[in-house]
Amino acid sequence: MNIKFTYSWLLEYLETDADPYEMQKYLSLCGPSIETVEKVGQEYVFDIETTTNRIDMASVFGVAQEAQAILPQFGKKAKLKFNPFTQYTFENLHAEPVPSHKIHVEIRDPELCSRFTALAFSGITIKKSSEELSKRLELSGIRSINNVVDISNYLMLSLGQPIHMFDYDKIQDHTLILRKSVKNEVITTLDGKKIKLPGEDIVIEDGSGKLIDLCGIMGGENSAITDDTTSILFFVQTYNKKHIRKTSMTTGQRSTAATYFEKGLDEDRVETAFSYGVELIQSMTGGVASSELVDIYPHPVKEKQVRVYLKDIHRVIGVTIAEKKIISILENLGFGVKRHENKELAYPDGVSLEITVPTYRVADVDIKEDIIEEVARVYGYHNLPNNISPLLYIKQPHDMEMLFKTISLSKHFLKHIGLHEFLNYSMVSKEILEQIGMDSSKHLKISNTISSEIEYMRRSLAPSLLKNIKDNEGKRDVLKIFEIAKIYTPRTHELPEEQYVLGIATNTGFFDLKGILEALFTELNITNYTFKKQEFNLLAQNTSTAILSNDTLIGRLGMFRHEFSDNVGLSSDVFIAEIDFAFITNSYSLTSKYIDPISTAVIKLDATIELKDMPYATFVSEAHEQSKLLQTVELIDQYKNNITLRFYFADRARNITEEEAKGELKLVLELL
Amino acid sequence: MKSSQDLLHTFTDTLSTLSSADTLQELETEYLGRNGHINAALKGISTVTPEERKTYGQEVNALKTKITQLLEQKKSELLAKQDAQSTVDITLPATPYPKGSLHMVTYAIEEISRIFEKIGFIRMSYPEVEWEFFSFDALNMPSDHPARDDFETFFMDHPKHSEYGKMVLTPHTSSGQHREMKRLGKPPIRMINIAKTYRPNWDASHVPMFHQFEGLCVDKRINITHLKGTIDYFAKQFFGEERETRLRPFHFQFTEPSFEVDITCDICKGTGVINDQKCKLCKQGWLELGGTGMVHPNVLKAATIDPDEYTGWAFGFGVERVMMMRPGIGLSNMRLLYDGDIRVLEQF
Repeated sequence: MNIKFTYSWLLEYLETDADPYEMQKYLSLCGPSIETVEKVGQEYVFDIETTTNRIDMASVFGVAQEAQAILPQFGKKAKLKFNPFTQYTFENLHAEPVPSHKIHVEIRDPELCSRFTALAFSGITIKKSSEELSKRLELSGIRSINNVVDISNYLMLSLGQPIHMFDYDKIQDHTLILRKSVKNEVITTLDGKKIKLPGEDIVIEDGSGKLIDLCGIMGGENSAITDDTTSILFFVQTYNKKHIRKTSMTTGQRSTAATYFEKGLDEDRVETAFSYGVELIQSMTGGVASSELVDIYPHPVKEKQVRVYLKDIHRVIGVTIAEKKIISILENLGFGVKRHENKELAYPDGVSLEITVPTYRVADVDIKEDIIEEVARVYGYHNLPNNISPLLYIKQPHDMEMLFKTISLSKHFLKHIGLHEFLNYSMVSKEILEQIGMDSSKHLKISNTISSEIEYMRRSLAPSLLKNIKDNEGKRDVLKIFEIAKIYTPRTHELPEEQYVLGIATNTGFFDLKGILEALFTELNITNYTFKKQEFNLLAQNTSTAILSNDTLIGRLGMFRHEFSDNVGLSSDVFIAEIDFAFITNSYSLTSKYIDPISTAVIKLDATIELKDMPYATFVSEAHEQSKLLQTVELIDQYKNNITLRFYFADRARNITEEEAKGELKLVLELL
Repeated sequence: MKSSQDLLHTFTDTLSTLSSADTLQELETEYLGRNGHINAALKGISTVTPEERKTYGQEVNALKTKITQLLEQKKSELLAKQDAQSTVDITLPATPYPKGSLHMVTYAIEEISRIFEKIGFIRMSYPEVEWEFFSFDALNMPSDHPARDDFETFFMDHPKHSEYGKMVLTPHTSSGQHREMKRLGKPPIRMINIAKTYRPNWDASHVPMFHQFEGLCVDKRINITHLKGTIDYFAKQFFGEERETRLRPFHFQFTEPSFEVDITCDICKGTGVINDQKCKLCKQGWLELGGTGMVHPNVLKAATIDPDEYTGWAFGFGVERVMMMRPGIGLSNMRLLYDGDIRVLEQF
């Protein structure tokens, strides 16, 4: 998440000789990433990205603490002027409550709220904040509203703890019941939005049963502070982050408070924010503490210990960092460090550091690697050398190697003969499946899709390619496209079978498509295939063709059925082929098999014939049976039902005569 | 017989009238052929007195040389003339040859594979439809991690696996980490996994499916300097020798420490300033390349690799993203790659 605040605000916590730009450069390398520094008048505004695990850093003080550790590494002075966590405590609270105002709190589900603090104030005057404070907030991208709202925002940005304030008098019976919401309960939030709750949201209802707070996200409109407010309920909490995130994401209410709470906040900082807030309310609104201080905190968070050995620090970072430096880096970040040395081991093997992790880091620091990271980043990744990982041979599985190789060869070949590669989403719509006669229920379905366009895992590339042709009709006269991608075949108790398929679609005719396939097979020296007429639901009956390899179906091609192309809205005939890519991978050969050129006489004879019902392929294969001297047959011409063929006759052992060849041709033509 | 002088005159007269290489061939045969004038003249030597024979012979040979010379000269002239005769507008369009195209992601995948192959990384392929265990649990992502909720991951409408949990569309290539560790049983590991990944995010600049490439290196004595050096090697190979990289602290569940890799901006050459203006493309001279880090000990443990003996690094970068960052591509919206417009795709 990103936060914005000014350089001068940071200087309230930090004494340093680093200018805003030095700060940007150095902090970005080692800690919070200061993405921009913007000069506005005399002020410099930082825009800072902090990582999700370091919510403690997402505040002015949080950045100051980082700066204290990082800047000295670059020869800059940096020292915290004061630490609000030791300064602002209940103990130091300068408020002696006059318990004139009652508060009844009930937390129905302790798992929802790890700490609950509240205090009522009376005698509040709602007015504009001081110009200095308004300006500081505005520069940080927060609109100044009035003193009370501004205090909330100021606290949140200073310490990273969102707070809330209610109009005390609008809370029926001054009763707050914190509970889980029931599905479809409704609350209108401060911004006027009426929100139907998904259920299990953290909410507060008052004595009348009406919802007054969508906790951690936004307060209710019905309990909001207005210009007439005189008593407030000041309210600082930590919530169960899972509930906050779910509510915020489901309802679309992405408030700044939610982005803090959903990351999980330090319960100990509640006290700091609370105490600092009390001081601000007193000084800025004239408010007088008027109730008992409520602090429900059943399981106080504890510091924890992590032990790390020096040798592990060096092993992971790859360079040796002086022990003294390691200790100072950790201490400046707020960790406690206790050194142990086992004298029986040679230095530094026996040296370990017992690290005390402060409460605001316990959620993030768990193991020695977390400590190593702290040392490494502050030491500076830029100070580490670049080394290529040590080289060694690892065998790539042969099937992987061949798969990637044949995919690459096929793609480049298809490109070179003029086809265009498309890459489509693996998911398709129910609509297109139904349009082309595919049963959506036999497809793996996404349960939380974001669009009906991408709901089913495709089992064929056809729906995608057909859509591609449709979308591009009119843009180019000739369309020849292909895709090599996985299809997903559901299985009962297993992951679906993921299988690579080559799909080709054109608007150029059956024989053009067949030619593309044959050219590809020739290029890859694949010969073990035949085409055979066979019906497929997707294809028009007259062209529907199976591609077989040793009687196994490995693909199909043909013209897309008119009934379906009409459904899809295609205006031209589309020809489509799909091949199981495993066939290509397994049949590929680097070179073709060598055949001796025929060195004896080759006699060429032409004949024009009519095949009637006999398929050409059958005729040719039978012709070879009929004549052992027949070497090759070529199709020369086609006219109506007649075809002109050229026959090549030869005997590899001797020269044959023309008469012999003519005799052979006669034998062949007897087949008709 | 005619004197040498007469023969030469007749020859030159005829030669001057010729205008094609074919007739030149005829003339050559007429004079230099087996039954040509020169041979006839040589045979005529028998009719010459013995005293004159020597001179006669010399004259005929001189004539032969001369004729040969003239013929060659004429031939060159005629051929040159032929070349100059027809004028060609060489700016006319040529015979068209097929020009197809490949998807930008294909080029990227091949380039990335090549770069890592040179340093011994093998390319693998793992399921896109995965169990939660491989996509999350094995990667140290607890069940309540935000990346595992409905807003960040696609879930399949399919019964849960008793051991591995729900079926998902993997949101990152990191799911291949555990599978590769398990396949090999123990380090050393050097893997690149390039695959489709899916996230429920579809708007002006996001697509629900995109590609990632994952690098994984696990071995004894692997440290941050190896990660740094290897990524710098990749960046220089892929983007250009003059580019620099840096690591910044970041956070990922499956690595510790974690980093974000930045690369110097190509437009402002890493200065952050171009024509006295702030560079609009980058942040102060740096562009974000992607996430990386040292493999989290829990990830190693999940595959029964001892993190006190072995260390490793891993990264996962966006394929489309790095491709669009290459100098000179000029395409900056990822959606264009998946909108299926031939006018876009045919350009590559």
